[in-house]
Amino acid sequence: MHIPDGYLSPATCAVTGAAMVPVIGTACARVKRVVKDRHAPLLALGAAYSFLVMMFNIPIPDGTTAHAVGAVLIAVLLGPWAAVVCVSVALVIQALFFGDGGVLALGANALNMAFVMPFVGYGVYRLAAGNTSLTSRRRALAAGIGGYVGLNAAALCAAIELGLQPTLFHSANGTPLYAPFHLAQTIPTMALAHLTIAGAAEFILTLGVVAYLQRANLPLLRINHPGVVDTDEELAPTRRLPALRWALIGIATMIILSPLGLLAPGGAYGEDAPIDLNPHSYGLSAIPGGLQHYNGFWKHTLLADYGFASGRHASLGYVLSAALGALAVGAAILLFVAVGRAVARRRPDVQTG
Amino acid sequence: MAGGATTPAWLLESEAGAFPIGCSGRRRRGSALEKTLDGLAKVVRQAITSEETAARPGLLQSLDARAKLLSVVALLVAVGLVRHIPVLAGVYLLTLALAAASRIGLWGFVRRVWLFIPVFTGLIVAPAMFSFVTPGEVVLPLGHWFGHEVGLTRQGLTSAGLIVCRVATSISLVVLLTLTTSWPRLLSALRTLFVPRLLVLVLGMAYRYLFVLLDSISEMVIARRARTIAAGRNGRGARAAAGFSGGALFGKAHALSEEIHQAMLARGFRGEARTLERARLRALDGIWLLACLALAVLVVGGDRALGL
Repeated sequence: MHIPDGYLSPATCAVTGAAMVPVIGTACARVKRVVKDRHAPLLALGAAYSFLVMMFNIPIPDGTTAHAVGAVLIAVLLGPWAAVVCVSVALVIQALFFGDGGVLALGANALNMAFVMPFVGYGVYRLAAGNTSLTSRRRALAAGIGGYVGLNAAALCAAIELGLQPTLFHSANGTPLYAPFHLAQTIPTMALAHLTIAGAAEFILTLGVVAYLQRANLPLLRINHPGVVDTDEELAPTRRLPALRWALIGIATMIILSPLGLLAPGGAYGEDAPIDLNPHSYGLSAIPGGLQHYNGFWKHTLLADYGFASGRHASLGYVLSAALGALAVGAAILLFVAVGRAVARRRPDVQTG
Repeated sequence: MAGGATTPAWLLESEAGAFPIGCSGRRRRGSALEKTLDGLAKVVRQAITSEETAARPGLLQSLDARAKLLSVVALLVAVGLVRHIPVLAGVYLLTLALAAASRIGLWGFVRRVWLFIPVFTGLIVAPAMFSFVTPGEVVLPLGHWFGHEVGLTRQGLTSAGLIVCRVATSISLVVLLTLTTSWPRLLSALRTLFVPRLLVLVLGMAYRYLFVLLDSISEMVIARRARTIAAGRNGRGARAAAGFSGGALFGKAHALSEEIHQAMLARGFRGEARTLERARLRALDGIWLLACLALAVLVVGGDRALGL
């Protein structure tokens, strides 16, 4: 996933590099605050570790081998902010001293592998590990899943950066000046490679290391997990809302995935406008009068057909529609719940919950 | 590198078994342990090669690291902005001339860049030449697909050529920098690019202890290979081994970081990073930097004069 120089335009490199400056600054400040004057050796050894972990050849069940990035592993072991610095430093060493990955493209590579990957993967890990003990199997599995999801998030970012190049930068006769593939080609290609082989390597490494440390060296896991009990027996019984939590996770996933609708071709069955209908295919001679009459009944829509009235910036309009729709539905549900609670409070004789 | 006067012979061989920790005899393709060992050996080999070429007398070696770093970045940006293959080819020839002037073996220099190109760039760029990916004027028709003419397009071929030339030139520029600059100087030069002091310190320590940890992991892998009797591949065991060695390596890294921290405290470290500041820039460095900046402007200007 290391993008070399020459694939990205200097403008893309500048934007991604500028985006990484505040991230690195915040990461340095936060790590310094947490570990005081111990930060320099810890970060340096973390970076050296990150560099070496990237060199491990992980055997995949299909018989081939692949490299893992290990950013989520470092986020689990040392925290996501430390992972930002460690992986960035490893990327700088690879680019400057070993010519692996571009020097100008360093910002883009760091954005994908040192920022998006550890944070997305660590978030998934925390969510999946939940309130489990340090030695539970679920925690090790959660680390593996975090590695898998984090790597794929990083690959998606790389695919977007590469896929935007031919659209944004081409000459007058349509010659792509940098990476030549469009989003519709980069995203499936990167997804295929990273959902299977590279994702499997990341999963195996992250899960394997955490499972090993659970058995052999628990103090190392405690570095980034203060306050987490060691075994399941020590867990305090807690009130759990598994159904609600899983429902919220499902809804959040759907919201995050909604831009996929941009890739879907054609329209939805039974939602055509009358002018798009071919009445003869249904054995009709004309559009039914009622459909014709009531179709134009409501014209005061904010974003007609999930886009702007001008018809331009279709993708932006779609995403904006999705965001506004999600907000409106969420607000309606909250309002409904609030009204329901207010009514229930007014009638104390009604048994609730 | 080919033709090095002081490089030991085993460093120059690309065969397996070239490095003392590599295996001798026939190499089993696909073994994860072997591949990891090869990768680790390659890192050491590259680092030693860089140190060795950086110590040779030559044009680029005599320049200040800061001037070199800034000039390489300026030229990389210029190369990134160029839109014509002949201009890129010109800059590439210039890197060859610089390599020759810096006593870098030309064959090794060219090989290092062009061995990388077919694997990554060639594979990625090849499909872009077809009208499926890059629509445009078909110059080499290959048949028809649902009534459309398909084949290699002028736009696709130009784009593929541009990418290959740009990637080759960019890599050559960076390789020139790494081969002619020892890493402590390159590190202190990073300060001129506004890299924070703490990061420079971390970078230096990471590079230093990288090789200490690399030794540990090599030993672990060799020890495991010595204990492996079966010739067949054992995927499950190898996957478990990746977890063990990764975990054990982290344990070593963390213990080492604690020891280093204590050693730093014993030497008066109080949480502030300091780097050795180097001597002032000489006139030659200034001339070099100005010449490179002028060249960068000239390259981009000339490229724009050829048309967009």
